[in-house]
Amino acid sequence: FSCYVTFVTQIIFEHEGVFIHPGSDDDGLEQDLLISGSLRIVEKVKLFSHDSSSVMEWDQCSGQKSQQLLDSQQSYETEWDMVNTVSFKKKPCINTEGSLNHGHERSRWALTFSVSELRSVTVREEGWPFLFFRLKDSSTSLPALHFHQGGSTDFLDSLRRFALLSEAPGDQTCLLVSTPSKALSQSFENLLDDNNFGLVHKFRKDPYITTLGGFSKVTNYIFDAFRGTEEQHQRPPEEMAELLGEVIPGLEINQQEEPGFEVITRIDLGARPQVMRKPPLSAGDWSKHQDLEGRMTNVPHLKEAIFKGVKEAWKFLLGYFPWDSTLEERKVLHRAKTDEYFKMKLQWKSVSEEQERRNSRLRDYRSLIEKDVNRTDRTNQFYEGIDNPGLVLLHDILMTYCMYDFDLGYVQGMSDLLSPILYVMENEVDAFWCFVSFMEQMHQNFEEQMQGMKTQLIQLSTLLRLLDLAFWNYLESQDSGYLYFCFRWLLIRFKRELSFQDVFRLWEVMWTGLPCQNFHLLVCCAILDSEKQKIMEENYGFNEILKHINELSMKLDIEEILQKAEGICLQIRSCKVLSESVIYGNFQRHLVAFICHTRAQFVEVNRETVFKSECQNLK
Amino acid sequence: TRANSGRARSITPAVTMTAKTSLLKVILLGDGGVGKSSLMNRYVTNKFDTHLFHTIGVEFLNKELEVDAHQVTLQIWDTAGQERFRSLRTPFYRGSDCCLLTFSVDDNQSFLNLGNWKKEFIYYADVKEPEKFPFVVLGNKLDVTERQVTSEEAQQWCQENGGHPYYETSAKDATNVAVAFEEAVRRVLASDERTDHLIPTDTVKLHRKPRSATTCCS
Repeated sequence: FSCYVTFVTQIIFEHEGVFIHPGSDDDGLEQDLLISGSLRIVEKVKLFSHDSSSVMEWDQCSGQKSQQLLDSQQSYETEWDMVNTVSFKKKPCINTEGSLNHGHERSRWALTFSVSELRSVTVREEGWPFLFFRLKDSSTSLPALHFHQGGSTDFLDSLRRFALLSEAPGDQTCLLVSTPSKALSQSFENLLDDNNFGLVHKFRKDPYITTLGGFSKVTNYIFDAFRGTEEQHQRPPEEMAELLGEVIPGLEINQQEEPGFEVITRIDLGARPQVMRKPPLSAGDWSKHQDLEGRMTNVPHLKEAIFKGVKEAWKFLLGYFPWDSTLEERKVLHRAKTDEYFKMKLQWKSVSEEQERRNSRLRDYRSLIEKDVNRTDRTNQFYEGIDNPGLVLLHDILMTYCMYDFDLGYVQGMSDLLSPILYVMENEVDAFWCFVSFMEQMHQNFEEQMQGMKTQLIQLSTLLRLLDLAFWNYLESQDSGYLYFCFRWLLIRFKRELSFQDVFRLWEVMWTGLPCQNFHLLVCCAILDSEKQKIMEENYGFNEILKHINELSMKLDIEEILQKAEGICLQIRSCKVLSESVIYGNFQRHLVAFICHTRAQFVEVNRETVFKSECQNLK
Repeated sequence: TRANSGRARSITPAVTMTAKTSLLKVILLGDGGVGKSSLMNRYVTNKFDTHLFHTIGVEFLNKELEVDAHQVTLQIWDTAGQERFRSLRTPFYRGSDCCLLTFSVDDNQSFLNLGNWKKEFIYYADVKEPEKFPFVVLGNKLDVTERQVTSEEAQQWCQENGGHPYYETSAKDATNVAVAFEEAVRRVLASDERTDHLIPTDTVKLHRKPRSATTCCS
């Protein structure tokens, strides 16, 4: 179909029931004038040309009753009238339905601008969310869009596919917009003059190593599935697709070559955004998020704040307390959980010597727990010295956990996971239940076949290969491609690598589930990114890599790592092909990545939708 | 299964032996909590840390020493002892020159498990002639008062299982630690010399790495 398709219009987002309040001030409090319309983000890709744009459109609903509007429309017309890429104006249009109205000529309101013109989006909430748009051309002011019928989050998510949204310093309601970097288009620039079918071919010839340079460089090629046949370690597309599928559930990679479209073989992540983290949430902020009965309110915002750094809140984060529970409900829950805990504790406490003599598993668990409790965080004030009550608590909670989950029992590493939790909770029952919740996430790491560890090592290896093929190749050449040296990191989530305070910080960030799933894998990538230069320059072999990584313990800067990891996440997110995949899991099941021959940008679309819109264009 | 050893290649690179200093890889095996890490740290740094963590994953330390006029770099590998972590540690067995089977004299179970550790090592290290491979048995925690394993029992086990040398050590007060590691080196060198008589001296050896001038000990 490449011969006749010249334009693909893809509606990326569409939502009806988005209002403007033309008569109101910017604060949007006055509700006299409500004009309902539908909001769209449309991607227009012109084939065989360099043109593509993502456009935001808001259009008044046809046939909407809006008499109130008539009085004020004239005064706003000039103000909203735009030139060039931006337009907000009334379009003359005839209302033919007019059942409620007088049937005379009416105007429709509409608003259109290119996403690339957008400077920032400010998110406000006054009972409903509304968004202010500021354009790069600051002389232009646009009306706020009011999401009376929801959809603002989806809208922002959709916008993120075309632009990077990052919080403005000092104003978390304001999202600064940056559209795909020039680097991205430049890296493809040299491809554009090539013939229509030369993409993959060109990639193969491209001495991409030279562009790779360093991870920090502006241009990062992250994925090279179909690297040239001259490559020693060439992997067939099917294998690569299969590999990706393991880490990236839901991502399907198109392996056919078709005229008109080309399979994406390499992805350019663009520049890594600089991330500025904020100070921890204060106790005051925390209590502000409680209503009168103690329910936590505005949980997404709270999680966001916690993700940015906080101490507190572990019981909620770990799921021991439901976010929407009242103070009273939590009291009841706590009572019940206390009973349950002590029942289980009594179970092992009341086992006689004779019973234990005939229960080798219990004996083994107890023996190992006793040994490990004596070897866990003994320099921490909470566990130091002989007969420290902290040691007894650590022991008792681990023994009780064996009763809670006898199949798993105790495995080395679990004392490391419990120790910080107990330190923060300072309470046996709370620590136990928080530990139980944490173990639900970590369970697979400790199971007989260590499936969780194997899976994570494979995922990490795949991710690293995507992010930094050169480094991955180096590791592979040193028999280290399977990343054994990350074992301790993954088994106990960096517990041995960081100070207690830093462990708190990292764990609560991970427990928010922000900014993405599997964030700990990006943390691994961030650390490896920092060490890669040394490892490669010093030409470390298998042993030296292991030793080097082991010796990073207690030398890592957690803030730097979190910033970098979040930066990588934003990088991946802004890279359309990978978003909703590695990190985003099951978003789109039938994601197919296309690249138009002559375009310096990716179009990520559902294949059927493309066909549909092509058909429409033909008509 | 041996799936892991299939992926993991020999850890000590194959090189010729021409330099004076050779790299010897020894591995400490034994139940959790018998004192493997403490033995390694005592020997390499001459320190004992009562607050030492239990080992997660795999670690190693190097120690330069001279035994009978041979300059040797001893690379001591230390692993997590719990059964569960077998698939992690076994890939590291390959290329070992000597295995230190370790138990604690105050823990009978750790003594009873020596046989299993030996079997696991032979299997995963892919030792061709197990009866000739140098094992050394260490009974650690000699400093504790309540013993569960007597010297006689331990010695008998060593006799019956291939005539391995046996040392009773205390990482805490340093008793016999250096002696035991040096014995391990002697065993390796002795088995090398035996081999040296059998093959021409210019033959490439596959498990010795020469020390470069820059890293050679002073």
